[in-house]
Amino acid sequence: MKTDVVVVGGGPAAHRLAARLVQYGHRGTVTVIGAEDNAPYNRALLGSVLDGTLSPGQLTLPALPSTVRLLTGTRVRTIDRARHTVRLDDGRELTYDVLVLATGARPRLPWVPGLVTARGQLADGVRTVRTATDCHPLPAGPVTVLGGGILGVESALRLRRAGHEVTLVHREHALMERYFDAGACAVLDDLLAERGVAVQLGRRATEFMPGKLVLDDGQVVAAGTLLLCTGVEPETAPARACELAVRDGVVVDDRLRTSDPHIHAIGDCAEHAGAVGATVTGAWEQADALARILTGTNRPFSPSPQVLRPRIADFDAVALTPASAKGIEEAEETISLMDRAGGRYAWLALRGGRIQRGVVIGPAVAAVGFLHERAAVLPEDRLALLTGSDGTYAEDGVLPDDAVVCHCNNVTHAALRQAWTGGAHDPAALARATRATTGCGSCTGVVRELCATLGSPPQAQGGAS
Amino acid sequence: MRTRTLVVAGYGMAGHRLVEEMRTGNRGDADGTWRIVVLAEEPRPAYDRVALSSLLSGASARDLTLAGPDVLGDPRVEVHLHSPVTGIDRTAGTVTCAKGRVFGYDALVLATGSRPFVPPVPGRELPGCFVYRTVEDIDAIRAAAQPGRDAVVVGGGLLGLEAAGGLRQLGMRPHVVEMAPWLMAQQIDAGGGRVLAEAIARLGVRVHCSTVLRGIEPGANGRAARVTLDDGTVVDAPLVVFSAGVRPRDELADPAALARAERGGFLVDQWCRTADERVWAIGECAAVEGRCHGLAAPGYRMAETVARQLLGREGDAFAGADASARLKLLGVDVAGFGDAHARTGGSIEYVREDRRAGTYAKVVLDRDGRTLLGGVLAGDTRAYPVLRALTGRELTASPDTLLTGA
Ligand SMILES: Cc1cc2nc3c(=O)[nH]c(=O)nc-3n(C[C@H](O)[C@H](O)[C@H](O)COP(=O)(O)OP(=O)(O)OC[C@H]3O[C@@H](n4cnc5c(N)ncnc54)[C@H](O)[C@@H]3O)c2cc1C
Ligand SMILES: Cc1cc2nc3c(=O)[nH]c(=O)nc-3n(C[C@H](O)[C@H](O)[C@H](O)COP(=O)(O)OP(=O)(O)OC[C@H]3O[C@@H](n4cnc5c(N)ncnc54)[C@H](O)[C@@H]3O)c2cc1C
Repeated sequence: MKTDVVVVGGGPAAHRLAARLVQYGHRGTVTVIGAEDNAPYNRALLGSVLDGTLSPGQLTLPALPSTVRLLTGTRVRTIDRARHTVRLDDGRELTYDVLVLATGARPRLPWVPGLVTARGQLADGVRTVRTATDCHPLPAGPVTVLGGGILGVESALRLRRAGHEVTLVHREHALMERYFDAGACAVLDDLLAERGVAVQLGRRATEFMPGKLVLDDGQVVAAGTLLLCTGVEPETAPARACELAVRDGVVVDDRLRTSDPHIHAIGDCAEHAGAVGATVTGAWEQADALARILTGTNRPFSPSPQVLRPRIADFDAVALTPASAKGIEEAEETISLMDRAGGRYAWLALRGGRIQRGVVIGPAVAAVGFLHERAAVLPEDRLALLTGSDGTYAEDGVLPDDAVVCHCNNVTHAALRQAWTGGAHDPAALARATRATTGCGSCTGVVRELCATLGSPPQAQGGAS
Repeated sequence: MRTRTLVVAGYGMAGHRLVEEMRTGNRGDADGTWRIVVLAEEPRPAYDRVALSSLLSGASARDLTLAGPDVLGDPRVEVHLHSPVTGIDRTAGTVTCAKGRVFGYDALVLATGSRPFVPPVPGRELPGCFVYRTVEDIDAIRAAAQPGRDAVVVGGGLLGLEAAGGLRQLGMRPHVVEMAPWLMAQQIDAGGGRVLAEAIARLGVRVHCSTVLRGIEPGANGRAARVTLDDGTVVDAPLVVFSAGVRPRDELADPAALARAERGGFLVDQWCRTADERVWAIGECAAVEGRCHGLAAPGYRMAETVARQLLGREGDAFAGADASARLKLLGVDVAGFGDAHARTGGSIEYVREDRRAGTYAKVVLDRDGRTLLGGVLAGDTRAYPVLRALTGRELTASPDTLLTGA
């Protein structure tokens, strides 16, 4: 059966879906309608345009197969579910068998006086980072970044690196708090301090004036440019208008279907299992899954665990989260490493010895990410995994000679061995000879074990002199 | 050689160790150049104060005795019980006892220990309020215990928890009041504190952290009856035990013009000597280079240092001691050792927590990631002796192996 697919939106989700439909042998037409003038591009790389390391053209995604009809610079206005048609803002009407919403998200603007002009546009000097048009390099001068999520932190550090004086204002008390726990936040704070980004935590903006931002404690921070990184909201207007079920995003089931079985939704505009998409990897995964569903596979969509890697120069970090909120089971075990001076941190929740979720900062990111991806059981020496050490240790596991075994009576390992050689062959005799174990008694186990080792045949004594 | 006289003021754990070091073993005073006079305040010879709580689980005072017949029968040793020292005349080289007797000394070692600190709250003098330091204290608590009723322990440190365990043995329902946000805050970190709190709650001990005692009110019989906390909690408790820390017993210092440390204690150098070359101080009453030590082992090290000096032997000065400690009672396993709070600059913390098993373990490593500096164990302390022995050295195996005993 031939089905004509119409995709609303021209972002990475739409692009991937169209490409895969053709690849998987979809029969019928594929039309992609994107509101932006550009051909589909990788939005996730826009940060590099902002600081001038990439030009907008370099983000363009591979051209779609010629069988895909791509309309850019035009927007879907209305959806007529009864007639299976969409109407574009240039008046055209298209018929679909299957409609896919891939409308993405747009920046959420905080309510701050002075931010928006009377005509509803962003005031001079106020910028968002969402589209290629937004993202021309910033003018020289001080920048204030509002919002300390991943995008805010990444942007602040990039701009600082590019030579701007940067202040990062966040209304929560920790940066990237949705992905980082307290330990990781502390290490991140150190990084920002070291790189010279001024951070204002627990602060809201109360007014924007040309060149400056006023905070709720009365402080005024320099903001030749004010960069809004205050989150996004899913673009759900067309879905709402035709009365599809919408919560935060357009609600979809395990077949990525909305409340209308002929309409699907993927990417940043879709809400699956209570979670709204926010990553390009998630968008691509849904696009792949939907292409398979539409070309006949019956396998339901089930998201893979999310791996979030903020892109910060010379700073490796990853947040590993379960696929969906539903997937969070009580962890059995946790391990953590805090090396603040060395800028390393790890916190991992484990189940059955496998990583369930966590945060890692530092060189262990690669090794941990590898184990997470394969759902592999962690190695025995977990500390070595987290520090990246070679896993060799002193003395081959034997207690050094001068290690004090009985602290109450200051008895060393060597003294106990000497007493043994002198004829004290059980714990009681060793206690009489050295006083070991006669204090608080907590070394009794070690002394007993020592008796066992010394009493065993010589070849088993490993390391004894 | 002339026989000289050593006077030891105080016959507790440190004083006893000094006497032992002076008289026995290959390190002892084989030539018998010292006569030892021990002046004890308590009515019994030195006993194992560390094991005091065992009196509430069936042990008798005799079981705790440290000073056996060998010491008491030694002709070189003279022990005077019930004889607290009341004054020191450093010019004359004599001490005076409560009984009026005067003893001359060539060397004087002060080993008077500490007294429990009782915070100045209204009602603390009421009958029904106790401290937890001597055999007599324990006897009194046992006599006053009322099974089935609530009791309040002031102080959630090592000692307070021991006291709570003791009260449980006596059939009472203990509450522990602790100013810090978690129990045993000196020895363990917040993570260990969490496991400890859960384990203790399972035993039916109620814990009130981040608050202090406001006052104790008497009942109709004039005895303690009702305890109020700063957070508003009221507990009907006929019995209160104070274990909110100790203060060094240095009251002999001022009259004898011996220096005291800022926070109390006879001020001594690393050889445990006061400014008077004939007077030393050891154990909990000694502020070695200004710092007091509230555990038995450091007192032993001090006793050994002083004995070596008196016997003219080579040896090291007192090198300080950490606050390593393991909770002995209650059937709850918790321990802190070395730099448990990772205060060393650049140190690394590695933590393993198993919620199902209720265990928490932290090791603190030096910046090299190999040298063990300290740690915290809760829920399972089997690794404690080995980790403690390795503290300050390179790990001999991965912490994971050491902790799981694999
Ligand atoms: C600066 C920046 C950095 C990022 N970094 C990362 C990262 O490192 N990793 C990561 O995984 N994700 C990152 N993201 C997020 C990632 O870009 C998005 O998750 C991804 O773009 C979502 O793809 P999408 O196609 O669902 O939505 P979008 O990319 O938002 O595309 C939707 C498109 O649909 C168009 N549209 C909307 N309504 C209509 C309509 N009615 N008719 C026609 N067209 C319409 C929009 O104009 C837009 O072009 C970043 C985002 C930004 C802004
Ligand atoms: C219940 C309990 C449990 C404990 N558990 C532990 C533990 O697990 N681990 C640990 O390391 N430590 C523990 N301690 C602490 C340990 O008991 C002390 O650190 C140790 O007893 C100190 O020895 P000391 O000789 O300095 O003082 P003490 O043992 O107190 O001895 C001092 C003696 O001097 C006497 N005295 C005072 N003034 C005079 C005077 N003017 N003249 C003559 N005599 C005087 C006192 O009456 C006392 O008998 C515990 C203590 C208690 C009470």
